Amino acid sequence: MSEQRRTVAIHVPVLTRVEGEGALDLRIEDGQLLELRLRIFEPPRFFEKFLEGHNYTEVPDLVARICGICPVAYQVTAVQALEKLFGVDPGPWARDMRRVFYCGEWIQSHSLHIHLLAAPDFFGCNNAIELARIEPEAVRRGLRIQALGNELMDLFGARSVHPVGLRVGGFHGAPALSQVNAIREKLRAALPEAEALIRWTAGIAVPQDNQLFTSVAMQHRERYAIEDGLIGASDGLSITPETYEAHFAEYQEPYSTALFSTYHQRPYLVGPLARLNLNHDRLPEQLRALLVDTGLSFPSRNMFHSLVARAVEIFHALHEALRLLESYRVQDSPHVPVTPRAGVAYGCTEAPRGLLWQRYEMDDAGRVVAARIVPPTSQNQLRIEEDLRLSLLQFGLDHPDDALQLHCEKVIRNYDPCISCATHFLRLNVERK
Amino acid sequence: MSTVRILGIGSPAGDDQAGWLTVDALEASGVSRRFAPGQITSARLDRPGAGLISLLENTAWVILVDAMQSNGKAGEIRSLNLEDWAAYSHGLSSHGFGVLDALSLARELGNLPPRLDLYGIEIGSVIPGAAPGAEILAAARQLADIIASGLDDTLAG
Repeated sequence: MSEQRRTVAIHVPVLTRVEGEGALDLRIEDGQLLELRLRIFEPPRFFEKFLEGHNYTEVPDLVARICGICPVAYQVTAVQALEKLFGVDPGPWARDMRRVFYCGEWIQSHSLHIHLLAAPDFFGCNNAIELARIEPEAVRRGLRIQALGNELMDLFGARSVHPVGLRVGGFHGAPALSQVNAIREKLRAALPEAEALIRWTAGIAVPQDNQLFTSVAMQHRERYAIEDGLIGASDGLSITPETYEAHFAEYQEPYSTALFSTYHQRPYLVGPLARLNLNHDRLPEQLRALLVDTGLSFPSRNMFHSLVARAVEIFHALHEALRLLESYRVQDSPHVPVTPRAGVAYGCTEAPRGLLWQRYEMDDAGRVVAARIVPPTSQNQLRIEEDLRLSLLQFGLDHPDDALQLHCEKVIRNYDPCISCATHFLRLNVERK
Repeated sequence: MSTVRILGIGSPAGDDQAGWLTVDALEASGVSRRFAPGQITSARLDRPGAGLISLLENTAWVILVDAMQSNGKAGEIRSLNLEDWAAYSHGLSSHGFGVLDALSLARELGNLPPRLDLYGIEIGSVIPGAAPGAEILAAARQLADIIASGLDDTLAG
């Protein structure tokens, strides 16, 4: 009898190198994958409920606490949604600087994920410390890039962890020209490093795992969407944030404290690969030429290309921040007056891990009556389970438990799931009978 | 001129402010004024993660103070040496990328300063927004005195 006939249960009790805590349960009977569950068991965090009753001025600081890695995404989405409802235009300076602020978050979050979380998998390492033994220069470079992303966040947020610089109407303050000049030099110097990073990630051998999936990301007519645009999909969807709920739904599974999301009742992908699949033609010419040079082409159906997609976005974020800071002028008043009004505010931006959608019902005193926040990880949760199923079948179920576990973890890490946002991540439990 | 960088690590959660309080006490003692300007610098860090690594560079001596939980009595001060964290090698999560992770990675990359003093203050309650316990305040002052004496003995001589 072949090994495939055995019945196995694998339980990965804690998945490492992901943001937060969760578990994976696999049950394999007679060579058939009978059960696969990505269990997110961290307790719900009730942020939406906490927001109720709070004034709009408190919202940016409250939502920043949802995530230590991507607070800017939560803040920018919220302030833009509220400004739209209040009829406030923060002006071109604030809009541009928010994009720079957001670029800082992409740079630090992506570099952290590539070097500390995902890359060790592809070099046979258990962690970044082991990776540093065999690829010290790559890890040093990654840390330098990550630090530069944090610096950009510090510049506009006063600190990189739970920054406080953003407000409805603009920013609380404008950085001094000397600070901006100093960071511009660093951004310029980092571009060759980011190019080397793209070549390094493109050179990493990854499994060939082509799957059909729908990519969902924001799209902008002129630029690579980060903080602005319509919600698009690889099937041609193009909608405003206000109509999101007509196409996307959330539901609860009893084994997970994070909600599952569907797009027209089907799983879908958000995040760097989805963005690159939809928006690669909006990248600057220099970057598109570099991609051609590396032999990579997008759209891609291989989720393992998420690693290089993050490197591409790091380069673009550095390039974009530099472009927007070239003509930087200090603003006397970095924010405009705000008068709240009652109504429903909708906002959507591209967090490092993918589409982030928010809805706020506000009263006429500017207080939150109800809030709804749909983070990227809960949108990817169903796609991760679908990917695991397809990927495991291609990998083969007759591998030893530890090989199955590693493969599952690699697949999951492609998504850089942030369980703390979603509500939270991984323990593997495999049952074989 | 050799420089000393004193780093207090913490968060605004009750006793977890122990590292910050030690830096506060050192700054209040005026110890840095006894030496050339810039010779001793200090900083309070809020969960720096991998960002700690770059702060270990370009200095001769780093003194690092963090909160510690090891079943000891709250307020106990411990000086940790290389052997205490040399074997650290488990999988890392960026959410849990702590001081020992950063030091282990820095050591692997050859980024450790020539001298690194690592102190831990045993803590009890870690409640966001809460004040630190009286024993933590006392321990921070005591550790600041120990560090100041060490600086005087080493740098003034």
